Amino acid sequence: MRLDSALRDARERGDPIVVPYLVVDRARHAGLSATVRALRGAGATALELGFPFSDPIADGPVLEAASDRALRGGTRWEDLRAAARAATAHLPSAAMTYANPVLRRGRERALAELASDGLSGLIVPDLSLEEAAPWRRASDRAGISLVLMAAPGGSAERVRSIATVSRGFLYVVSRYGTTGRSGTGSAVNLAPIVRAARRAAPDLPVLVGFGIRDRRTAERALDFGADGVVVGSALEEAIARDPDPESVGKWFAGLVPRPR
Amino acid sequence: MPRRYGPYGGAFVPETLVPALDELERTWRTARRDPGFRRELRRLSETLGGRPTPLYFARNLTRRGRGAEIWLKREDLLHTGAHKFNNALGQGLLARRMGKPRLIAETGAGQHGVATAMIGAALGLTTEVYMGEVDMERQKPNVERMRLLGATVVPVRTGSRTLKDAINAALRDWIANVRTTHYLLGSAVGPFPFPAIVADFQSVIGREIRWQSVRAFGRLPDLAVACVGGGSNAIGTFRPLLRTSVELLGVEAGGRPGSVGAASLSRGRPGVLHGTYSYLLQDEEGQVRETESVSAGLDYAGVGPEHAFLHDSGRARYVAVHDRDALAAFHWVAEDEGILPALEPSHAVYAAVREARRRPKGQHIVVTLSGRGDKDLGVVTAHAAR
Repeated sequence: MRLDSALRDARERGDPIVVPYLVVDRARHAGLSATVRALRGAGATALELGFPFSDPIADGPVLEAASDRALRGGTRWEDLRAAARAATAHLPSAAMTYANPVLRRGRERALAELASDGLSGLIVPDLSLEEAAPWRRASDRAGISLVLMAAPGGSAERVRSIATVSRGFLYVVSRYGTTGRSGTGSAVNLAPIVRAARRAAPDLPVLVGFGIRDRRTAERALDFGADGVVVGSALEEAIARDPDPESVGKWFAGLVPRPR
Repeated sequence: MPRRYGPYGGAFVPETLVPALDELERTWRTARRDPGFRRELRRLSETLGGRPTPLYFARNLTRRGRGAEIWLKREDLLHTGAHKFNNALGQGLLARRMGKPRLIAETGAGQHGVATAMIGAALGLTTEVYMGEVDMERQKPNVERMRLLGATVVPVRTGSRTLKDAINAALRDWIANVRTTHYLLGSAVGPFPFPAIVADFQSVIGREIRWQSVRAFGRLPDLAVACVGGGSNAIGTFRPLLRTSVELLGVEAGGRPGSVGAASLSRGRPGVLHGTYSYLLQDEEGQVRETESVSAGLDYAGVGPEHAFLHDSGRARYVAVHDRDALAAFHWVAEDEGILPALEPSHAVYAAVREARRRPKGQHIVVTLSGRGDKDLGVVTAHAAR
């Protein structure tokens, strides 16, 4: 199933959308299928596969360390492709990668490869709306949904423009700060962002990410009117504590919010 | 004010930073047309900074070259000891205009950190400087200077623990504190409008070279030479000379023979790092490579996007100079002229002497001596002992 239809179906059913984020790491490849199955069993709607980058400026300490570890372990583009083939058998999936690895591979070629491996979405955290046009054209051609991010501080007009260009879903950054738990990032009322996005793109699911770590923070995102959440750093921490797929699934099930 | 230089530049940043970049661009556009702002910038450049800096005829270096005359643009005489003052002052005034009470900065050699700490003190702004642990070790005197000027120095322990990682840390801080903080980026790199703003504030170097060379030897130089890490002193030297016939030579850090060094233009390929599309030292997977240079200030995998454009268009030439040659040039300047240059412009001096040898006596070469070498005494004496 494709990312777009999986999210739309969940939304029509009134189920909260929950998207786990897994760092692609060659050393963890053997256990990937079982982990993804466990996440599906625990209520995941779709999956985000994060390709490590040497300079992940949008990421906090947990994902930065995970990315660093994966690269030192020799993780390469081929590992993202292998992970995509394994994961998309169980959950519709999007790739998350910074701009440069895609540009180095060649944007058209990279997108064609990801599509042929079953991925149906692409998230690029350092791609601003201003730079997005050629990426949107290329991903449209490859049959991949380019997911853009909206964040606190932008005008309603800007959020509307972003929601109009974004495909698959709109990724709303929950606060000022990088991914994961943060001492400095402060809580923000996201309701105006969600409302602006709805006005511009009524059918586009809205997911909140950055700092979602338990049922309380997930439900808080739904209270702002969002359709669901993305969970990255907290899941990475849970896997580091206990990588057994059953334990990961159990932890994840405890986070899935109750339907509103 | 261009967003792009040919295909290079742009703003590849997390969405959270876009409103702050827009605000900075707006503030700068109005400030540069505001006579009050320009007056204040000029007054502080002169009375706090010591501008204009002299253009000095290096008679003995010229003798060593046995060819074209070598002149030094003495940015090392500027307050805080390097050209970094020009940009720190300008952006500090912009931060005050935006009402932001806190400055953050990255630093490699420590010169930009010292300049930011100084302007933070002078304008009453809280200042935090991110610096890689490796650089804190090799540029210790500057760490102490920043602290004495009232800044907090935050050690960066991730990645290669040098300039690139300090920029990552500063960007993350800015993402979290963007409403109260101005990121005073120190080189002509990063997302738009930074490369344009930094080049604007540094262009005072090239403007002075223009009138000073006419006054000193009756015409513009035949060649202008500057070192290039991110490329701020070089773009400041080059930009006012772009529409003249002056040849332009940028000098990158070549590291040790056989190493990749930090020569992005000579040995890299275009890519995106720290918000800009430019030449970049990267592997075949698009991961940024660790660089290596004797000079912390040039030890950076990327380069400003305007240099990428000047490189492709052929308007400027770029060469790489090895560590050992830069160290040799350091001693030439010290022993021939009685000036201790920083290791960064020592790369430019080496290339300039080589050029002087190939050129007839009637020609003039201006080298931007971007900073003084006090901070490098530890590195230089360690190498001399080997």
